[in-house]
Amino acid sequence: MNIKKINIENYKCFYGKFSLDLNNGINILVGNNEAGKSTILEAVNLALSGILNGRYLRNELSQYLFSHRAVCEYIDGLSKGTNPAPPYILIEVFFEGDDYPRFEGNGNSERTKECGVIFKIDFDPDFQNEYEALISGGEEITTIPVEYYRVNWKSCARETVTARSIPIKSVFIDSTVNRYKNGSDVYISRIIRNDLKDSEKVELSQAYRKMKESFMGAESVQAINEKIKNKSKITTKNLQISVDLSTQNSWETILMTYLDEIPFHQIGKGEQCIIKTNLALGNQKSQKANLILLEEPENHLTHTKLNELMKSITESCADKQVIISTHSNFVANKLGLEHLILLNNQNVTKLADLSKETFNFFKKLPGYQTLRLLLCRKAVLVEGDSDELIFQKAYMAQNNGRLPIEDAIDVISVKLTFKRFLEIAEMISQPVAVITDNDGNYEIKITQKYKNYADVSCIKICADDRNELNTLEPQFVDANRSDLTTLRDAIELNYDKYDTEEKITEYMLKKENKTTWALKVFESSKSVKYPKYINDAVKWCNV
Amino acid sequence: MNNNKLIIAAAGSGKTTYLVKKASEIDSGTVLITTYTEANEAEIRKKIINRKGFIPSNITIQTWFSFLLQHGVRPYQSLLSDDVHDENIGFLLTSRKSGQKTDKKGKPVRYNDRPIYWGAGDFKKYYFTKSMKIYSDKISKFVFESNKASKNLVIDRITRIFDYIFIDEIQDLAGFDLEMIKLFFMSSSVTMLVGDPRQVTYLTHHTTKFKKYSDGKIKDFVLNELGKKIDCEIDETTLSPSHRNNQAICNYSAKLYPALTTPKPCTCNKCREIITNHEGVFIIQPSDAGKYLSKYNPMQLRWSTSTKCSTEYQAMNFGESKGLSFPRILIYPTEEMKKWIKDDNHKLKNGTRAKLYVAITRARNSTTIIMDFDNDDIFEGAEKYFFKI
Repeated sequence: MNIKKINIENYKCFYGKFSLDLNNGINILVGNNEAGKSTILEAVNLALSGILNGRYLRNELSQYLFSHRAVCEYIDGLSKGTNPAPPYILIEVFFEGDDYPRFEGNGNSERTKECGVIFKIDFDPDFQNEYEALISGGEEITTIPVEYYRVNWKSCARETVTARSIPIKSVFIDSTVNRYKNGSDVYISRIIRNDLKDSEKVELSQAYRKMKESFMGAESVQAINEKIKNKSKITTKNLQISVDLSTQNSWETILMTYLDEIPFHQIGKGEQCIIKTNLALGNQKSQKANLILLEEPENHLTHTKLNELMKSITESCADKQVIISTHSNFVANKLGLEHLILLNNQNVTKLADLSKETFNFFKKLPGYQTLRLLLCRKAVLVEGDSDELIFQKAYMAQNNGRLPIEDAIDVISVKLTFKRFLEIAEMISQPVAVITDNDGNYEIKITQKYKNYADVSCIKICADDRNELNTLEPQFVDANRSDLTTLRDAIELNYDKYDTEEKITEYMLKKENKTTWALKVFESSKSVKYPKYINDAVKWCNV
Repeated sequence: MNNNKLIIAAAGSGKTTYLVKKASEIDSGTVLITTYTEANEAEIRKKIINRKGFIPSNITIQTWFSFLLQHGVRPYQSLLSDDVHDENIGFLLTSRKSGQKTDKKGKPVRYNDRPIYWGAGDFKKYYFTKSMKIYSDKISKFVFESNKASKNLVIDRITRIFDYIFIDEIQDLAGFDLEMIKLFFMSSSVTMLVGDPRQVTYLTHHTTKFKKYSDGKIKDFVLNELGKKIDCEIDETTLSPSHRNNQAICNYSAKLYPALTTPKPCTCNKCREIITNHEGVFIIQPSDAGKYLSKYNPMQLRWSTSTKCSTEYQAMNFGESKGLSFPRILIYPTEEMKKWIKDDNHKLKNGTRAKLYVAITRARNSTTIIMDFDNDDIFEGAEKYFFKI
């Protein structure tokens, strides 16, 4: 069974309602650092297990779980006396199909028949009196009163649920460390526990109990206890040492997982990640569906290991659902563009929604330029290498020598395929500037060609309308015509031989010089001038 | 395919035991066992544990109201009115008609000195208390209506959760409960109802809906109301001998319902294992109560907690005792009951008759009634009991 949809409201970076439809099989979440990829994984895991950062959330509520904006609105409202309702966090996870009627009902924010679980952190009306006293007390309130909050964990049938009763077991494989106090990893224990049959669990806890008992029965322990008993004059009661019998069963908090006799947490992070994933993928219990949440697997893995991991995921994901967050083009490339889900300011775009033509075009692209477009703050599309070099240099000139990429502005050389990129950019409102030649016909090559994007606010077309200056080279010479000396110095030309603008342009246009001149400008310390349309693009970047 | 069955049988014939046995035999498939009273729910639970050692995970036992609230009301609670979408609906047991109109000060509104009630148009006030507890007399109507509004989603969900729906003490169900039964009959779940028309000591609620079937006429309901498309087998023979009562008790209790067949005691060795020297139906003088109690230690059965009886020995209300067995019982009859005991032509009210029937049939060995009598009084089917001086 799969998850078909997630709703998140006011949890961490998600202000207001955020919805995400999921594919069966693999889902790849990409987006900027602040886009909320990890928060989605975390929220899904929380709603299915009640666990956040390796601990049960129920007793660890804090205001930092809430959307900052929602908190501010609430506090503002209080100070202005508009009586705002205390904000709540809502995470809804809907399952596909009819297999779990107990979880069906209209008890969800969509008010229609759904099957799933609702994890809500909200104000507990039992504390109404205390709350009223608090807000009418006259003292300034600077936080959400989380001490009056509760966790409300229900099915769509409005029935209280527990981690045990939820049919989908999630496995969260993240980069942070979550261990029990003995060092054993919380998640690996959970993976193993979920894979055990009830009878096996009973056997394990029985064996553990026997071990405790035999420890107590050992002669040496008894001798020691006898000794303690005789020595202890402090109390009349019987003093002895014993293993902790008070904890119920929780063998998983006591037992350690070993790999080749090395404790699990002592092995490399990358290896840990692979083992957890493979264990989760290999879980046998067919009736309990598994959801694997994998956070940025590229963080700890070498290319080879990553490759191995991707391979096992693609091979066994047929009956498991996987949600992966990633920054790596490689991961996305390996797992398939059609599974990509782009996150951008709480907007969701699936690449599968692109026109088929564009989709296929990107599928063929090597190195996955697409991801570069999606993952940067702003993208600048250029035709070729010289344009790329000149734009970068122009950018550096105005930004204290910083490369655009240092400001998360990615310059992508796309040859003649601007429009394909623009289609995606428009879809996800990604800011993109295009630097292009007019090719001697501004009307047709620019105005007509890009007329569909004229009103798209995230797209900026930078080109010069003087048809006689048809490409970068004449444009560049034109920009520097008042100071040809500096230009010649920068591109290392003989003053006498290249004494006119025409001659310089002719030199630059020669096939063998086409990239070299731009490279020379890029490496030169001379401050040359840049064509207006290039400077326009820099200005757009700096807005 | 015939998925539905109504089993009618007298007291002590092992109705609950039969139901529990059937449920225990189901390995694949989920079973709901439900009944109106909490006492009987506990009894069912106990019987399953006795048989299996635990309650198997495929068997759910809950009272009728708890079932209706969990699976009938809450999953689609807002289909009748969106206002209650986020409410946490609770439950209020009421023996009177609920939803009486009140004025702004909370005083009941009366018209021509009769109370008036909210209509279904005032949705919230009609179905719920102020603190959003649904009234017990309207809960099955609510479920029925919201199932209708949902185009059968409510029943469809229940059907997919429970492959088998077993209802014990079916005679307690009334009004819209019967509509629910009809819906279960139409569903793919195997539905089995078990009950005794004689033992209508409680009703889930009092309503004009299907009133003619409320007095233990469940069989007539099945015969008259299901229509051609719904089928339900009526079985009055599977459970006929009484495993509890001896011949004297069977005969005596049968006098309350002359129209129905007199049950016979089961003659197997197991049922008649313990024969004492004090077997049958007896009448004793109140002055002998102390001696009698100390000699035989019977369970005292009474109308209500305000009935005077010995506090040194255990006692129970008639209604509560339904479904239970004791070796010996001592009945404290009401004035009305006394009239019938003296003269079985005396006409008893249905509820009183049912309670007396329940009381008489609790005992395996002796049913004893405590009341004043004269030496020349004759009690047909019962023996006057004196302590030898």
